Amino acid sequence: MQTAASNSASLPVAQQAASVRTPGPIRHYGRYLYLAINIAILVFLLAPIAIVVVFALNPTPFIQFPPVGVSLRWFEKFFASRDFMHALGFSLEVAVLTTLSATLLGASAALALARGNLPGTRLIVATMLSPLMLPAILTGLALFQTYVLLDVGRPTWGLVAGHTLVTLPYVVRTTLAVLHNFDMRLEEAAQNLGASPVRTFFEVTLPLIKPGVLAGAIFAFIVSFDQFPVSLFLVSPGNETLPVTLFNYLKFDLDGTIGAASVVSIVLAFVVVIGLDRTVGLRSYVKL
Amino acid sequence: MSASIEIAGVSKVYDGGVRAVDAVAMDIRQGEFFSLLGPSGCGKTTTLRMIAGFETPSSGAIRVDGADITHVPAHKRDMGMVFQNYALFPHRTVAENVAFGLRMRGLDKATITAKVKAALAMVELSGLEDRRPAQLSGGQQQRVALARAIVIAPRVLLCDEPLGALDKKLRQQMQFELKQLQKKLGLTLVFVTHDQEEALAMSDRIAVMNGGRVEQVGTPTEIYNQPTTRFVADFIGDTNIFRGERTTTSTVASALDVGKGLILALPPTEGQGTGVLSVALRPEKIRLITRTDAATAAGSSAHGIVENTNFLGGAVLYRVTLESAHRVLVQQPNAGTSRLFVPGDGVTLEWTPADLVVLKD
Amino acid sequence: MMKALGPLSRRRFLTAGASLGIGTIAAPYVARADDPTLRITGWGGKWGEIMKAEIGPAFESEFKCKLQIDSAFPYLPKLQASSRSAPIYDVMHTNSNEQWAAAEMGLVEPKIDPKQVPNLADVYPYAVSDKIVGVSIFTSAIGLGMRTDKGYGSVNSWKELWDAKYNGVRGGYVIPVNSLGQAFLMMCGTLFGKGQTDLDAAYAALEKLKPIKIVDFTGAMEKMLLSGEVGLCVIHDSGIYRYDGQNQPTDFVSPSEGVLSLEQVLTITPGSKMKELANAYVNYMLRPEVQKRLAETVWYSPANKKVKLDAKYDAKLLTTPEKVSKLIQVDWKWYNERKDEIDQRVNRIFRA
Repeated sequence: MQTAASNSASLPVAQQAASVRTPGPIRHYGRYLYLAINIAILVFLLAPIAIVVVFALNPTPFIQFPPVGVSLRWFEKFFASRDFMHALGFSLEVAVLTTLSATLLGASAALALARGNLPGTRLIVATMLSPLMLPAILTGLALFQTYVLLDVGRPTWGLVAGHTLVTLPYVVRTTLAVLHNFDMRLEEAAQNLGASPVRTFFEVTLPLIKPGVLAGAIFAFIVSFDQFPVSLFLVSPGNETLPVTLFNYLKFDLDGTIGAASVVSIVLAFVVVIGLDRTVGLRSYVKL
Repeated sequence: MSASIEIAGVSKVYDGGVRAVDAVAMDIRQGEFFSLLGPSGCGKTTTLRMIAGFETPSSGAIRVDGADITHVPAHKRDMGMVFQNYALFPHRTVAENVAFGLRMRGLDKATITAKVKAALAMVELSGLEDRRPAQLSGGQQQRVALARAIVIAPRVLLCDEPLGALDKKLRQQMQFELKQLQKKLGLTLVFVTHDQEEALAMSDRIAVMNGGRVEQVGTPTEIYNQPTTRFVADFIGDTNIFRGERTTTSTVASALDVGKGLILALPPTEGQGTGVLSVALRPEKIRLITRTDAATAAGSSAHGIVENTNFLGGAVLYRVTLESAHRVLVQQPNAGTSRLFVPGDGVTLEWTPADLVVLKD
Repeated sequence: MMKALGPLSRRRFLTAGASLGIGTIAAPYVARADDPTLRITGWGGKWGEIMKAEIGPAFESEFKCKLQIDSAFPYLPKLQASSRSAPIYDVMHTNSNEQWAAAEMGLVEPKIDPKQVPNLADVYPYAVSDKIVGVSIFTSAIGLGMRTDKGYGSVNSWKELWDAKYNGVRGGYVIPVNSLGQAFLMMCGTLFGKGQTDLDAAYAALEKLKPIKIVDFTGAMEKMLLSGEVGLCVIHDSGIYRYDGQNQPTDFVSPSEGVLSLEQVLTITPGSKMKELANAYVNYMLRPEVQKRLAETVWYSPANKKVKLDAKYDAKLLTTPEKVSKLIQVDWKWYNERKDEIDQRVNRIFRA
């Protein structure tokens, strides 16, 4: 993996870069252009978040530029709302369950696909990734109809199953990517040293594919937590996720509470990503 | 305690019907440095992997100290292995890599620490315990791999081209150290290589493999001096191979007619006979002198012209075209006293019939 | 599975409420597992809050049942996707246009039986007219909303919306997705043509409305009016009155040509297994005291003639036969049949 081979391979690239160095002024313009493009992209990515934050902190019940002040009243309203708090808790619950099931299923599937010598591997991979191609609203509607036909109602596990369906591709993809570069001899070395296949998996395979699995898990969490189209049909009365609750709220009250909820969601997603990274860690061997 | 290995008629046939290993049989003695030598695709690595337990033979049996282990899973075989690219665990430190096998054996912490320390000292890596593999040079990684394999006191140490990735100088040093270590610990060591010089330098015995089969098993001198097959003669070092019809001349009772008027006297041990035969003659077994007008001794000399020369330092390698149009390699020691031949020089080649090695096809 | 999750989610729900210590919750009726469940739809916002806190629990305890209110849109596709013989709702509450679409598909019963719902005898005629499927329990009046602080002068006709002085501050809706926009389109036909169904006159009028700021949610229009981004716009009375007491410089104008009605309609699904309870619910929602409580919460005009609102509400809402007579009802059946064609046409008008 991170062996001497990759270090030596990087050397010619560096030399190449040095040899095609352009003359002074042109290089400077290029640099400014590069910087400008980067700033533009950042602004493009962050501006919506900034507007949401302004909206959330603005005391008037409508967006106003320039803002007339700073107030936490929308946050108070958000946190004091039984509906929003319930929806937030429920969204977190669903996101956590989804992350667990998508990660477990997706990583196992990726392992089986990468190792199992199964017939029709390409077809299976394509099938597993297909929820990404289908409009999520159709996935939601199809599942809803299935549940109705099966007469199971709209249980939480049904919602989690729907979310798992659309988050699975992320986990499969990221795990397959790390498995693609995985040196099988590491597993043989472990077995040779006396590790049973199960022990080998936990001592060697899992720690090494962890960055990919973790990346997939983070995707799964965020996609589930922000999921709207799939949830739309699958939420049951009294158990609505935050995005669905926000959408419904939007139809009656368009005030800063929406902004406050968005800010809380962003912060929460951020905390989860950082938390996952810190606890199960990407850093252990990638960072060198 | 090191063990002996018996490989009894082992074959490995893959799904596509490819016979990677074909009825291989050999006995590896206890405490022996045993090399599997051959070109890539000859089945040497597959044989090693079957010994390690990473592959299951399609037929035949592998026995360690007489016990059949053919179907024992890899993790229960108690063998150490050094992989081609070392296969060090990138997410673990040097010390953790070396401790891995000991941990799997459930040893207590203090014992592990002591053994790891001793193993790292043995491969001269003390002080690098907390480094990660990616922070080490190729030679250092090689030593970690070695320490990791021997710290568990394996019954057999398996090495899959362990020195292939090192530069020449380091490789020679490691060859020496590995050999020393093997002798010191009395290890049974199975060494896979495609480098014949390495095999000759290190091994107690060598099995030369080709096309999934064992061509010859023997000590380095046996392999070099008495190759039994044309493949072995050709693969090990440089050699001249002649093929011809057996014949009898007025002066030589047992001779080989290799065509265009060149007759080679066969070794005295070879009786009279008929049929087709191949013989090998090592370049250094031929003496080269300035062409004499005298008639050549029947069956043990020939005239020719130097085509080109290759200065090796301690020796010079000449390519000579004989009057019979055969091209022959001749190696002469560079004593530094006499003039070296140059292309175009007329020369006379002389050899002793006893140095001809009769080959099986 | 549903049953297993039921108590758990209810407990979580209650503890969440308790730990936040918000408001006073009317002691909820704790339904027993074998109590029948009535599945209905209902708005969110203030309506949803009071339903959850008071009106719903009171119904549950009186009728010994459990009320399951789905306030997550979209109701109609969900009903459509479920089986006719076992629909996911017993009673559907939504706007009139959607009810008509549902009735056309046979998803809801076109009429409510007065024998099962005695309070039906007390409603204004519009609530059970031929323009209504089921029964309208409330209505809002769609008229004009204006800023009072911009010196626009008094407004009393729909036609003033076309006045050039409102260029840049005129507000309307994305017609394909908004009932107010759709009703307004019909009004245009009445104002400038031969009547509601004069689409050509309506299209021509819409063309002349440009420039106009259009939004999809009614709530967004309220905010644009409050922020001053819009000076005169099409809006429903409750969207203005709900800010009563906040001293907002906005007012609702009831144009001389009449106001459009935006009805809150209840229907019962034919496949419902809870017909009796469904009828009881419709009857309950038409009770004067329930009507009064909801009307004064969300500023909807009650359909029941017998409701006596407090003076403040009585002054503004449609509570007398005279005031109610100003309501113009839209022929949604007619509209829905041409919806695709109309959508295409108005999209073209406002895209250009």
